[in-house]
Amino acid sequence: MMEKTILKSSFPQWIKSLQSFKVFIPKRENFGWELSSNNQILEIASDYTYPVVPPKKLIFPQEEIFFEFEQNPDNGIELKEVLPEESPQVIFGVRPCDGRAVEAMDLVFGGSFEDLYYWRRRRQTTLVGLACHQPPSENCFCLSVEGSPYSEDGLDILLTDLGDRYFVKALTEKGEKLLSEAPSLFKEITPKDREEKERVHLEAQGKIKRHLNGARELPEKIKAIFDSNFWDEESSNCLRCGICTYLCPTCHCFDINDETKSLAPLRGRRIRTWDTCQFPDFTMHSSGHNPRPDRASRLRQRLAHKFLYFILLYDRFQCVGCGRCISLCPVGIDIIEVLTRARNHGK
Amino acid sequence: MVSLDQLKEEVKKALSSGKVKYFIGYENIGSGWQVRPAFIRQPEDVDRLVWTPACFHNLVRFLHDEKRRRAREKNPDIRPVGLVVKGCDSRSINVLLQEKYIERNDVYIIGVSCELTGVINITKLNQHLNGLKPQKVLFGSKGTFKVIVDDREIEIEAPDILADRCLECPANFPVIADVILGEEIKRNPGNRYQSISAYEKMALDERWSFWQQQFSRCLRCYACRSVCPMCYCDECVADSIAYAVTAETTADEKAQKTRWVERNPELSENIFYHLVRAIHLAGRCVDCGECERVCPVEIPLRLLNKKMEKEAKELFGYEVGFDPAQPPLIACFRDNDPQDFIR
Repeated sequence: MMEKTILKSSFPQWIKSLQSFKVFIPKRENFGWELSSNNQILEIASDYTYPVVPPKKLIFPQEEIFFEFEQNPDNGIELKEVLPEESPQVIFGVRPCDGRAVEAMDLVFGGSFEDLYYWRRRRQTTLVGLACHQPPSENCFCLSVEGSPYSEDGLDILLTDLGDRYFVKALTEKGEKLLSEAPSLFKEITPKDREEKERVHLEAQGKIKRHLNGARELPEKIKAIFDSNFWDEESSNCLRCGICTYLCPTCHCFDINDETKSLAPLRGRRIRTWDTCQFPDFTMHSSGHNPRPDRASRLRQRLAHKFLYFILLYDRFQCVGCGRCISLCPVGIDIIEVLTRARNHGK
Repeated sequence: MVSLDQLKEEVKKALSSGKVKYFIGYENIGSGWQVRPAFIRQPEDVDRLVWTPACFHNLVRFLHDEKRRRAREKNPDIRPVGLVVKGCDSRSINVLLQEKYIERNDVYIIGVSCELTGVINITKLNQHLNGLKPQKVLFGSKGTFKVIVDDREIEIEAPDILADRCLECPANFPVIADVILGEEIKRNPGNRYQSISAYEKMALDERWSFWQQQFSRCLRCYACRSVCPMCYCDECVADSIAYAVTAETTADEKAQKTRWVERNPELSENIFYHLVRAIHLAGRCVDCGECERVCPVEIPLRLLNKKMEKEAKELFGYEVGFDPAQPPLIACFRDNDPQDFIR
């Protein structure tokens, strides 16, 4: 662990020094913030909130090609493996919630079976976090799910904005390497820097308005009301779109398909794409039977995955409290409200 | 003015007499000013209902769910579903009737007049308030909105924050309903195609690169399709997530299903999805604007649909959703059609 400061006026030079990396920095688009690698931006805007599409897409892209297949003249099939390029990337402006989300995805794609594609990208990725001064969204509730506006989980570096400079905390070797690309730009910290950083962190914590109380009681509760009509009522206006899951920083479900480009000679590829438990065909069996036939069972699945199954498997929530699913739901389904009512259901 | 008390009274009447199975209106989200579709099943729950300029949602879309539910159940309750509809929404009921997707007695309609206003655009509201957070957004006196900010009341002229589609709306009054609340006030919609005028000035190659740019960020979450009152097909050619497979579907049928669009979010597939959808909405879209409102990456889908609406109007004199007895655009022709291939 290494602690330094860097003046904001020196920040562009740091970015420029990272020539061996593909650098992503938040860019303002008309639809919100996006992590962009267009090389034009050399600083993090002061009014940056968080990207609409979370950083997961740079590690777990919406489309991953596994292999290509082609029929050869003697009617055999040739397979050509496709692997992600091994090119190092740095993502700036990762909010602590999104960093914790990557850590949660590491658990899913790691463990006893390592997902080759995921880890090829993940190992090449350096996550530079930015502690929150203000909650990026009015629906932020990270404190309720064991996170914080300055959590270091999953990050390689945590930056804290101190006005004219950043407090830079390198948390991993990858993080330290990033500082070593331009060592002269980083200054030793003073006790005042540290004090200021602590103050900023504490203040940010106080600004979070939304809370989900008693989240650790939820696993038992969800189990208890699994078959209740509670879920029918809560999901009655759900549209079965993919917004809540596709834009969730931890949702990681996928589908694998063979895409045929030509039938004679047979040619195509096998690809993995994002999928979501909110689409009706997610659990559709080839017989036509669907074990999750309605919106109630689909909403229950989304919340139970985050607040029951993930806890049973890994003893942590699969929700980091970023609030995107609340802000973007077209019909106002609010995970905090639904879970609060779930907790009080039958009381 | 539409009276909320009267609305609640009408809903209460419909529910307690057993005339409707349930009622769909709008309620506030938490303690905020934003609203969401509310399912009211008991007469005593009518107090949840609100009617505000944030009632954007076109509730007609929920009739698809009801139809599917009926198809699943052995002895379904076939009483009508009650809906609150605005002028635009009521036109989409007419299209469903035209297409015989529903019957008139499947739905009990409480129409509300938008009078001189309509629904707001949140982005415009936020820009207007310049960082201030609204506590309440209400209808003001003739042609204004009343926004409560920091316990102060601000009066805003409707055109400043109205949704674009409301500025171009030809139906501020419901065209089909069982009960109508509010006054029928004539309003000049101005240029009905204002929002596409800049787009129409673009050269073909400019339009192509414009749409490539827009569609390249599509995530294919299918929110636009899922929220659309006209998108009710059990199996959608433009969408790979909805296969109509039942226990009766044979293995052969399953194996031979054509995937018109692949699941990957590459530009070719995204363009296919959106353009096929646009064509399928020509002569059916009532410009309720829901597709554009729900898009998380703000793809300007209204442009496409509005352009198709204009084409239908100019080429075939076809106006969508004013007459439930009118045949659908693609199922009719006129004897005096200027082109002779049909004769």
